[in-house]
Amino acid sequence: LQSRQNRKRDWTKLIYSSQLTPQQILHDDSQSTNDDKANEEDEEFFTVKSRNFLTEDDEVLDMTKEVTREEDLKEWEDEDLLDSLRKCFITGGGGE
Amino acid sequence: MAQSGPTLHYSGHQYLRHRLVLSILSGKPVKIDKIRPEDKNPGLTDYEVSLLRLLERVTNGTIIEISLTGTAILLKPGIIAGGPVTHECPLSRSIGYFLEPIIMIAPFAKKPLQLTLRGVTTDDYDLSADLIRTVTLPHLELFGVSDGLELRIKKRGSPPGGGGEVQFLCPVVKQVKTLNFVDAGKIKRIRGIAHAVRVSPQFSNRMIEACRSIVNRYIPDIYLYSDVYKGEESGKSPGYALTLLAESTTGAIHCSEAVSQPGIAPEDVALTATRALLAEIRKGGCVDQKHQSMVLLMMVLGSEDVGRCRMGEFTPRTIQFLRDVRDFFGTSFKIVPADPSDPSSRELQLSCYGTGYINTNRSLA
Repeated sequence: LQSRQNRKRDWTKLIYSSQLTPQQILHDDSQSTNDDKANEEDEEFFTVKSRNFLTEDDEVLDMTKEVTREEDLKEWEDEDLLDSLRKCFITGGGGE
Repeated sequence: MAQSGPTLHYSGHQYLRHRLVLSILSGKPVKIDKIRPEDKNPGLTDYEVSLLRLLERVTNGTIIEISLTGTAILLKPGIIAGGPVTHECPLSRSIGYFLEPIIMIAPFAKKPLQLTLRGVTTDDYDLSADLIRTVTLPHLELFGVSDGLELRIKKRGSPPGGGGEVQFLCPVVKQVKTLNFVDAGKIKRIRGIAHAVRVSPQFSNRMIEACRSIVNRYIPDIYLYSDVYKGEESGKSPGYALTLLAESTTGAIHCSEAVSQPGIAPEDVALTATRALLAEIRKGGCVDQKHQSMVLLMMVLGSEDVGRCRMGEFTPRTIQFLRDVRDFFGTSFKIVPADPSDPSSRELQLSCYGTGYINTNRSLA
């Protein structure tokens, strides 16, 4: 629970010493702590889970572009969000 | 490299390209099995076989064994030869699929590579010729591969008919420079290329207008170029696309692209590309998300010094690449949050000790 709260994830450990698939590491934010535990304590539980993930991703092409989902881009219709990005530009003022 | 080490073993068709690249660069043979064993078309696809043939021609002495069913391959890498090569890419994938792995190995060839590829130049899956020219090559220049590095788009080719042609010229280097890129800077300009082939040339102007309606608010330095190809040069199928890139004060480049689809207006294609660019900018980091693995590879191959780079969120490909690169080169990265004080930031700082990879293929001058 603690690691879920402070969101400081140990990437080095997740990548190099866990058996999680890349998709699990990225998408399973909330479950990652559970998986870590499962990994240490219950081998069997873990293998079943990873197999599920594999079948799901089996049809994924080896491609470089990420799939852009329309829903994800919908949020950019929001003016406030568009304005919040101003800070990334040189014209967006000095502070932050 | 002629030396052979222990054979590395992987399963599945995923991440095939970077594994082949790592094998050729490290000189370690690689065996990949269980390639679509349960699929109704089991084994390698036409484009994967074509990629293997291309790698065979760019190198010298590479031995590739494909099992009878095509579900397993063994690659024993030879030396990277370079020189003039021409390759017809199958129309199932764009030339980006083939060019991406080639770009990773070409700087370490014996002779400068002059590669001509024919096929589809822009599609939804891989980096288009425009992205490679305007984004991938600048990323490579960070590592000191620059003089004579060029991609020429001779003809455009949209799916499904293709008919495009590009020429890739890559110089050889002895060693790549160590990267130290931790300041992402602020976006100072936005550039874009709108192209439309075998449709009304007005389409590229409509895309440019739609894109401007969003980005004009941010910055005045916007230049969106309408790229016109006529007649023979425009390939066999109609299509159009908008490629966008945002460049920062420190030289960080973020990019996005959207490609025409049946029944979708040019304005909507442009909006998709523009929003994807904003999403990419928000992710932060010093390198574009689609180029993470290439940058990481060059960091691993860098001189024996600590290289640093700040990156936005990883992609699944990047994570697998980090694991595979450790298998081949024994290098692991130190990954820490880039702004430990800011809990909302998801940016990461990666550092590694370069392997001091020297291009032994290069003929001594």
